[in-house]
Amino acid sequence: MSQLTFETINTTVLNTLSRPGKVYWSIIALLFCGAALGASCWAYQIFVGVGVAGMNTPVHWGTYLINFVFWVGIAHSGTLISAILFLFRAGWRNPIARAAETMTVFAVCVAGLFPFIHLGRAWLVFYMLPLPNQRTLWPNFQSPLMFDVIAISTYLTVSSLFWYTGLVPDLAIIRDRSQGVRKKIFAVLSLGWSGKTGQWLNYSRAYMLFAGLATPLVISVHSVVSWDFALSVTPGWHTTIFAPYFVAGAIHSGLAMVLTLSIPLRKIFKLEALITMEVLEAIAKTIVFTGIIVGFSYATELFIAWYSRNSIEMETFWWRAFGHYAPEYWIMVVCNTVIPLLYLSKKIRTHVIPLFIISIFVNIGMWFERFVIIAGSVAHDFLPNAWGHYRPTWVEGGIMVGAFCVFFFLFLLFIKHLPSVSMTEMKEMIHKTE
Amino acid sequence: MDRRTFLKTAGIGSIAAVYGCKTDYDKNIFSLVTAPEDFVTGQATWYASTCMECPAGCGVLAKNREGRVIKLEGNPVHPVNQGKLCIRGQAALQSVYDPDRLLMPQLKMGQTFKPISFDHAFGILKERMQAASEKGSNRVKLLTGITSVPLSALFTSTLEEFGASPAVMYEPYAHDGLRAAHKAVFSRHALPSFHMERSDFILGFGADFIETWLSPVEYIRKFKSMHSLKDGTKGMFVHVGPYMSLTAANADKFIPIAAGTEYMVALGLIRKILETRTIDHLPDPFLKELAALAAAYDAKFVERKTGFLAADQTLLAESLLASHSPLILGSTGATAADNSFALEMAVTLMNLLLDKDLSLYDFERRHALEKVMTAKETAAVFETAVTDPTDLFLFYNTNPLFTFPENTNLTEIFNRKDIFKVSFSNFMDETSQNADLVFPVQLSLETWDSYASNTSCISTLQPAMGRLTQSPSIGDVFLDLSGRDLSGRDRQFDDYYQYLADYLYTNLAEKSKVHFLQTIQRGGIFHSDSNTRTGRPPFDTLSIDTGSIQVLKKTIDSIHPPEKQGLTFLAVPSLRLYDGRGANKSWLNEIPDPVTSIAWETMVMVHPATLEAYGFAHGDILSIESNDKTIAAPVYSYQGVVSGLMVMQVGQGHNAYGRYAAGFGSSPIELLSGNDLLSGNLGTSDFLSYLITPSLVKLAGKVDALPQTDGSRSQYKRKIALSMIMGHHSQGGHGDASGQGGKEGGGLDMNQFPLTLPTEEGYDKKRDFYPAHAHEGYRWGMVVDLDKCVGCSSCVAACYAENNIGVSGKTQLTKGREMAWLRIERYQDQNSEDRLIFLPMMCQHCDNAPCESVCPVYAPHHSKEGLNNQVYNRCIGTRFCAQNCPYKVRKFNWFDWDLPKPLNLQLNPDVTARSKGVMEKCSFCVQRIKKAHNQAKNENRDIRDGEVMPACVQTCPAGALTFGNFLDKNSAVSVLARDPRAYQVLGYLNTKPAVIYLKKMVQAL
Repeated sequence: MSQLTFETINTTVLNTLSRPGKVYWSIIALLFCGAALGASCWAYQIFVGVGVAGMNTPVHWGTYLINFVFWVGIAHSGTLISAILFLFRAGWRNPIARAAETMTVFAVCVAGLFPFIHLGRAWLVFYMLPLPNQRTLWPNFQSPLMFDVIAISTYLTVSSLFWYTGLVPDLAIIRDRSQGVRKKIFAVLSLGWSGKTGQWLNYSRAYMLFAGLATPLVISVHSVVSWDFALSVTPGWHTTIFAPYFVAGAIHSGLAMVLTLSIPLRKIFKLEALITMEVLEAIAKTIVFTGIIVGFSYATELFIAWYSRNSIEMETFWWRAFGHYAPEYWIMVVCNTVIPLLYLSKKIRTHVIPLFIISIFVNIGMWFERFVIIAGSVAHDFLPNAWGHYRPTWVEGGIMVGAFCVFFFLFLLFIKHLPSVSMTEMKEMIHKTE
Repeated sequence: MDRRTFLKTAGIGSIAAVYGCKTDYDKNIFSLVTAPEDFVTGQATWYASTCMECPAGCGVLAKNREGRVIKLEGNPVHPVNQGKLCIRGQAALQSVYDPDRLLMPQLKMGQTFKPISFDHAFGILKERMQAASEKGSNRVKLLTGITSVPLSALFTSTLEEFGASPAVMYEPYAHDGLRAAHKAVFSRHALPSFHMERSDFILGFGADFIETWLSPVEYIRKFKSMHSLKDGTKGMFVHVGPYMSLTAANADKFIPIAAGTEYMVALGLIRKILETRTIDHLPDPFLKELAALAAAYDAKFVERKTGFLAADQTLLAESLLASHSPLILGSTGATAADNSFALEMAVTLMNLLLDKDLSLYDFERRHALEKVMTAKETAAVFETAVTDPTDLFLFYNTNPLFTFPENTNLTEIFNRKDIFKVSFSNFMDETSQNADLVFPVQLSLETWDSYASNTSCISTLQPAMGRLTQSPSIGDVFLDLSGRDLSGRDRQFDDYYQYLADYLYTNLAEKSKVHFLQTIQRGGIFHSDSNTRTGRPPFDTLSIDTGSIQVLKKTIDSIHPPEKQGLTFLAVPSLRLYDGRGANKSWLNEIPDPVTSIAWETMVMVHPATLEAYGFAHGDILSIESNDKTIAAPVYSYQGVVSGLMVMQVGQGHNAYGRYAAGFGSSPIELLSGNDLLSGNLGTSDFLSYLITPSLVKLAGKVDALPQTDGSRSQYKRKIALSMIMGHHSQGGHGDASGQGGKEGGGLDMNQFPLTLPTEEGYDKKRDFYPAHAHEGYRWGMVVDLDKCVGCSSCVAACYAENNIGVSGKTQLTKGREMAWLRIERYQDQNSEDRLIFLPMMCQHCDNAPCESVCPVYAPHHSKEGLNNQVYNRCIGTRFCAQNCPYKVRKFNWFDWDLPKPLNLQLNPDVTARSKGVMEKCSFCVQRIKKAHNQAKNENRDIRDGEVMPACVQTCPAGALTFGNFLDKNSAVSVLARDPRAYQVLGYLNTKPAVIYLKKMVQAL
């Protein structure tokens, strides 16, 4: 890292903003088509009815909420890296903090779409807003879904502000090195940043403040998301472990997503000097840790179900592991807790290819964790007569593909138009090491 | 273009854009703008009529709102059904609004039908009739379903004018065996009614009186009055038969025996009775001969032939002999040829042996069915139509091409070009499709008529609504045919109404216009004293000769055991579709069969061990071949079937009839042969056989998913459908896992929890964080007596009709999207896995409702009277409420359900029709509660106990449901909730359901 100078940092990062080629635009176009596919699936669903998805009685919640929780989970580790590790002064997070925080903002945006897609009557979603009206109809703040609305919107606001605050000095660098329209745009975006001491003072205070605000949100937002389930009476959902379990799971999946995003990023833009192997290794080590927490949670759930002697709980968890959704359950267990243990080997965690492949497995495993919890619990709850199965349909598949496309579409636009590595923080880092 | 032209064009253009391009045209909210004098918008008018869905003839009250019939309810003063209706009766009004109903007569031109005018059709008919009568006598035949006395008299006189013999009445389930047995023993071809309610021990050999047998609503009521807990005891019901029908599932003991061997068990019992009891009311030669006949049927022999253990036979005989007033019932209407006749004979003789007065037979109140032809006579009619010159064959209200087993003469009638076939039918069913002229006539709810449900009453029919089609009534058609000319000269009656009135006048005790009107208003002429009449045998028992025993002996001798070994096949009538006439009613298809929980499909029910032995599995499609015909149907693995037998319900498998019938399921009738009835054929019997040995059964595939509405029939030791063994019922509480005994629990333990009433007294600081709701005046709730519920599903149909519930159809139902607010859950009893318990499950209107707290917009809302209201307009469709409902009674509108016109005219205007994206569920018929409120307010009083009756409560033939106010300590529900049998499903969740269940009482033989 010692060979890095302020100038090399600037040039390396600004090189990523060079005029993109045909390949880039064709990928962007492809992703746009994917997003359009998702949008048309949704339009079809609104026109025909939610029945075009696979949900039924008893499984009224399907991939829409699975994806919601999945994306919120992804978002969390972005904040973990950008805010929590910032507060902990973990220097290795600096090269990936920007990408991680961007991932947070876009993942929350995508996650926030899913509750709308899920609704039977999406056009009436404003009923959830506390709008004064002559009939004094008010939202029910007792409902975990109202907690969700508040938590997610707060989270989106705070993480966007945090992200933008961090961007301001970097935007000024781009402004200073560009001409024409681009200069004008970045002049507006950089909010008149001049690099005066007073501005730096305010900047670092604000950045610290938002980091401090975002940190408890990581815990609270995903706890609130978990209460969507834990505050119900359904066996398999109604447990006190859900909040920490979901937070750990969120960070687990998010870290994996950071790896999935940053490994191609450093390869394509030749950022190896900035996003070093040490950084990736640190993430891999954290994934081992979160994987163990998640594994512990699985074991706790099973133990508590057995220890409760509640026959309904026992049956639910037995069925989870050996019933209709057993394949999904074991995908979840293996991908989330067993496969990440491979990172214990130094050889594996310092090699890009296995790092990347394992991160994909964790992503898949975490998606299935949400599937097992959300679809698996209600499919087999109190009344045996009402038991049933759920299988997603092509519409849900289309919307899911669309969601991924929206995310990568935004992310790709970001990396070619905004600095995907924080120049400011990199400079701070080498300044400190010097 | 100048300024003025521009403004004109723009103005016209914008007006055109606003008005011209609407896809939704103005609709009238009310169907009548200029209403008749007595028409009050928003107020229902009730017309008494008679249900014609089966020959039982229950009285109905048709609810007319704004000119349309929207609901049928039982007529409370009618002696047959006393205010109750079965599932088919509840669905009867769907035929009026059937989207496939024919609006015009159809004349066959080559291979296709062409709509013609009614005048044209009548002209053709009259011309054909005249031509036939000119050629000679008896060249016109009329086959009709069971009809009224005046209508058949009119048929007869009209046909006579054209030189033809009287109309012949055909019904598929005509109880030929039972009638023949009565003929042999009592010398009367009669179908007496049975006083089940006075019996204390009923032994059935297949009689499915809960499904279709003679008069189901009547017999469910009578059965439940002897077979429900009263003063600590209840009557005994034992069912012996080859499969566990719904009726058998309600027996205290179901004894599975090989199909067709029922008569052996009966003769074995006769043998035991003669051995143990001295009978002095019958002549000695008679008894001696009977003993000689029964001698062969010792317990060992019977065990070997039937599979009924010898020890159990003894036990059954002892219990039978120990009872005070036993009643033995024979087989279903669908017989197994001579075997069934032998059974009916043995059963009748057994009743005669056990009760010298035959006090449970009522020969003065005989069922209407006794006047229809036997299958043999029907086959003879077909034969004469082929052998004798016939020009014209008329069919009214019957579909023999679907219901009558394969008969060469019937096929020949339809193949012959020289026989002109006319089907008086509103539907393009199998018979209509093969007829030359289809002539729609008014349906029973639109016409004047009468019906003698039994020999002691005449029910009346009157038009319950204006005409939807231009069809004339069948009576008018025949009156017009008989008139010398169309101007009415030489005609005694202008129309059928006058003809009918004349008939009714002759039967009225007091012949006045007022009395006549009252009769029409009441729904008929009822001699209601028949219930109190004591039975008496139709003859002197001491003078009985041995002729009947000779008949029985001859029959038994003619029974040959099947030559082929292997799987046998039994076609049984269906609770939902009867003989198939219900098949085009979407509700009847959508409501699952209570025993299998399968909708929209005909299953072949086979015992799991038999399936395994033949290498088949649940969900496989079997191809069954017999009589050169093949049908394919999916297999349902069911422990209730005796091994080696396949059981299939009749009703589906139409290739015509309409969108809900054609292409669904398969028809077991296709496999049967109706040719054996012909004289001269080998193996001739007087009876049709619904029990056959198929020539080939092979695997033909596998279904992806069955249209099944249930998950598991096991309760997994959860407190859901509980039973209690007789004698233990004084102990309260929910008891242990099996529901036995147990004391009042402390309230926090899953297995020991108290009854938590949905009122203040149900709250306890130890359990409850939130205080009780403050209810104003009423806290509505329901009590469901599982001891009375027979699972007949009429409540479900009533709920569909009352609450505008969407029909999802086979595809969506298979995906688990049926919309029923009320369903019959069928569980295995935890005390004995062989026993089924039927549990009506609807919204429990919990006081501590899990659904209410999780909705972000307060769409589920707790009312001041304790109702859990669902506010459709407010619902945004998060579906959290349904996820959090432990009872899974909330149903989501995944789509806008298909409601083809004119079925929409049936919608209840008091209930919102829901659109897609909205959650819905049982409202306890809040519209009826509101109506009672208005009434009470007008009269300045409180709502009386029993005044509010949700649709399900109103129709329950068994009286298993009670609705009322829990705040009133003396209300019926409060009293019942104090019963030691009371419990709440999943009560330990502390949801405080307002539906209290009473445990089923079970007893050993």
